[in-house]
Amino acid sequence: MREYKKLAPRQIALWTSFLILFGWGLSGCGLGSTSAAMRGQQLFQNCVPCHQVDGSGNPQVGAPNIAGMKAWYVQAQLQKFRAGTRGMHFSDVEGMRMRPMALSLITDGDVTAVSAYVETLPPVKHAPTLTGDAHAGDNQFHLVCASCHGTNGEGNADVKAPRLAGVDDWYLATQLRKFKAGIRGNNSKDIEGRLMRPMARILTDEDAIRNVMAYLDTLKP
Amino acid sequence: MDFGEVTEAVMYERYITAASTYAHSIDHLFLLIAALVGFWLIVAEVVLFALVFKFREKEGQSTRYITGEEKELHRWITIPHMLVILCDIVIIVPAILVWYNIKQAQPPADRTVRVYAQQWAWSFQEPGPDGKLDTDDDVRTVGELHVTVNTTYHFELMSRDVVHSFAIPSFRLKQDALPGRTITGWFRPNRVGTYDIQCTQMCGLGHALMAGRVIVETQQDHAAWLMRNSNPSLAAQPAAPAPAPESTTMAEVRR
Amino acid sequence: MSEQVQHAGHDHPEPGFFLKYCWSTDHKMIAMQYLFTGMAMAMIGGFLAYVFRMQQGFPNHYVPGFGLVTPGRYNEVVTMHGTIMIFWVAMPVLIAAFGNYLIPLMIGCDDMAFPRINRLSYQIFLLSAIVLLGSFLVKGGAFGGAWTAYPPLSASGAYNLTPIGATLWLLAVALEFVAFLLGGINFTVTVMNSRAPGMKMFDIPILIWMIVLATVIFMASAGPLIAGAVMLLFDQTMATGFYDPVRGGDPLLWQHLFWFFGHPEVYVVLLPAMGIVAEIIAVFARKKLFGYKSMLYSTWGVGILSFVVWAHHQFVAGIDPRMANVFTVTTLLISIPVAELVFLYIATLYGGSIRLDTPMLWALGFLAEFLIGGVTGIFLGSSGTDIYLHDTYFLIAHFHYTFVPIAIISVFAGITFWYPKMFGRMMNETLGKIHFWGTVIPFNVIFIPLFMTGMAGDQRRIYSYAQFAEQSRPALQHLRTTSTIGLLVMLSFQLIFIFNFFWSMRNGKRAEANPWRSTTLEWTVPSPPPHGNFAELPTVYRGPYEYGLPGRADDYWPQNAPN
Repeated sequence: MREYKKLAPRQIALWTSFLILFGWGLSGCGLGSTSAAMRGQQLFQNCVPCHQVDGSGNPQVGAPNIAGMKAWYVQAQLQKFRAGTRGMHFSDVEGMRMRPMALSLITDGDVTAVSAYVETLPPVKHAPTLTGDAHAGDNQFHLVCASCHGTNGEGNADVKAPRLAGVDDWYLATQLRKFKAGIRGNNSKDIEGRLMRPMARILTDEDAIRNVMAYLDTLKP
Repeated sequence: MDFGEVTEAVMYERYITAASTYAHSIDHLFLLIAALVGFWLIVAEVVLFALVFKFREKEGQSTRYITGEEKELHRWITIPHMLVILCDIVIIVPAILVWYNIKQAQPPADRTVRVYAQQWAWSFQEPGPDGKLDTDDDVRTVGELHVTVNTTYHFELMSRDVVHSFAIPSFRLKQDALPGRTITGWFRPNRVGTYDIQCTQMCGLGHALMAGRVIVETQQDHAAWLMRNSNPSLAAQPAAPAPAPESTTMAEVRR
Repeated sequence: MSEQVQHAGHDHPEPGFFLKYCWSTDHKMIAMQYLFTGMAMAMIGGFLAYVFRMQQGFPNHYVPGFGLVTPGRYNEVVTMHGTIMIFWVAMPVLIAAFGNYLIPLMIGCDDMAFPRINRLSYQIFLLSAIVLLGSFLVKGGAFGGAWTAYPPLSASGAYNLTPIGATLWLLAVALEFVAFLLGGINFTVTVMNSRAPGMKMFDIPILIWMIVLATVIFMASAGPLIAGAVMLLFDQTMATGFYDPVRGGDPLLWQHLFWFFGHPEVYVVLLPAMGIVAEIIAVFARKKLFGYKSMLYSTWGVGILSFVVWAHHQFVAGIDPRMANVFTVTTLLISIPVAELVFLYIATLYGGSIRLDTPMLWALGFLAEFLIGGVTGIFLGSSGTDIYLHDTYFLIAHFHYTFVPIAIISVFAGITFWYPKMFGRMMNETLGKIHFWGTVIPFNVIFIPLFMTGMAGDQRRIYSYAQFAEQSRPALQHLRTTSTIGLLVMLSFQLIFIFNFFWSMRNGKRAEANPWRSTTLEWTVPSPPPHGNFAELPTVYRGPYEYGLPGRADDYWPQNAPN
């Protein structure tokens, strides 16, 4: 009962195990250093569950199309979410979903990296979801919006006005309503948001919003 | 079930403060259970190891033939067994008492706050200086709950989407929030400070990021905070939920 | 192993690959398939544990072999670890593998009562495992809503963001239950009808009793959950509203149905584990089990009580607070039969002659560790303390102090004990002992720190505590890191087991029919047993644990020896 076959390669087996253990420990080092571009792509995995792999968004969960969005704008908004100047209103249900995700980016470098990655995504154009009078919207747009957002809705980084052409109409309409209701742009530190609120109020009713959306849908991104 | 002001009595209070009136009753129940089951654990492990050591295989040792049906031997099982039942009762009674005081008996409220859970944020509705909810001077906050020390609060807990759990470890408070239901509970903070609010029920992608703070203030600080945040221009904000985009199915804010 | 197969009394031509591995109705072949599938799933589950422990121990670093752990991936990994370890490791290995292998051998018959149903059960089980693993590859990834899958999170893709993964998870669990229902019927019928002549009810080895009880508990509790799973599937795919309060449903309904199954499930896997330990303790202490009948009645008591404790998982879930009082009492009551069982096991050691071979080390390790798991359950079963400890790492540590002994320690006990019977060779003892100490010591290093972080308020399923000031203090992070290092060491030592397992299959000392000098029937056949098991079906003359009987030359008296 007590006699067992002596294991000849016992030492080898033991040494192998410990070497594997040691190698495992070593493999933990050195893998953390990657380029900013790689880092941005990996961090974008945080965004994929809602914004999709191609950044085209998911209206079901209120996630906008961010593919190809300018890095400066993505970065500015992520920083606002992180600082709590956006997505901190009691009624901003989607904003409160976005804010914690922005908080999952721990360093400013991570925010820059992921914003740069978002800009590299090829833009995706979705079919219009709203109907309205594009001609009336054209007039409204050039009266109210074009001075900052550009005649073709291309945006203007100098006045921190984002590109509007090619952005999903349902998302822009929601944001306009939020600006009007003071749900977005309500924080005193959100300077651009506070500037946007009176502008949004000029679009007095739903029809005005729909008309502008109908016009924006005709623009090329 | 309050054993008196024996602060820093329980081992884990080294790690987590006790900042509500019932925190110590839970901690002392923990201590009681730890003493009783700790005794059983040590006895059982010592007997186990002693038997293994004493009866390990030796030269010329023969085993004893015992069926375990013999009365004088089975005693060694029956007596500890009775003691286990006794210990169970000693644990059950205070456990239910602590539970009763925290979850069943609700002391009259000095103030009532409303707590909304959603993916993945806490938002709060507090009565303004008039002390009543659902009036124009209500203060609505996100992520921060301001309360007065030594005041009994009732909270009305609601969820806007999935199951969450409203937990304040320093208060030893935990209560799941269910969509479609309002669950009322209470707490009475007794130590000024800022404490974490956790979500302790898996609620999706941002579960780990669903943090909040409860800020326990003195009477004066709280009154000043209320005055600052409940001014008419803010109170004039529409209390209606964010208008939902037509294509959005989940932005239903249930009141 | 194939060179040793003897065709006792049968003369079959050697079947082809398909017939041999995919269509064999031999209970031993099916048991081996369950065992190897379970072990493969255990490696996946262990890898997942490695991933999230690395994230916990070294937050936001790249995990070697995985990459960056994002919140979504973390949820996925945690959910799948729980699901795999409970449903695809503990269940198939403890019940299906050991049950299939040992039931016919220990009760003295040639095969299960329904061999084809047995085969079907494994095929469905394999399919369920493939569906589950496949869910990692679908769009959105695998389900990340915790292994308890509370709706509305699990019911709507808009909430969980993994619509396909959630449905596949549910399908896999439902399929797996079908597999075990088929297996369970088979086990019960076999034990009740196919016992060797002379084997009366109290002559059945305690392991077989415990497997039968476990399958009875499983079959009685799985029904409500399968019904609940179908309703959840409808909620997910057909927009019904069983769990949606807006449309008159109730999310608590799922919690009741789930835990009505979920708590008995703990005992479904506990009982076979305790059975394995009982067999091993009797053999290596050379003792009759202390109070066989008390043990059996306590087991029945555990089985019945396990049906009336489920709501202790829901104390703070929003049920009527008065219910908690009832369930606190029933929960603490269940400590009585379980304590009785453990006392009886310890008492069995008294007056024995204990050989500390590897299987015995594992069996004693089970007792020592399971005791810790058992007593820490009292903290959670008492409604008062559960308010604070619910869903913290204290719960995680308690749960693992019960489940690691069940699904890991007792399985190693069983494998090392029956290995000679299964493969006809002895495992290497030295490697076995190194593996034992290399598993049990790091196991405590993993979970004792987690008791402390739980007492400090760490809530579970959190990929990073950066958002929580009280939880992100360095003192707690040191505890988490310690725990992770414990896991790395424990996982590394499993390589020794894997090496020993496969190396001994070819190079181990050849095993005789009864290497441990045991009394039960499986040791009367050659190792490994031939097709059809017994050359001549045995007759049973006495109970299974006749060791050290005074006045006999041998210190054991096999069940089938006429005198």
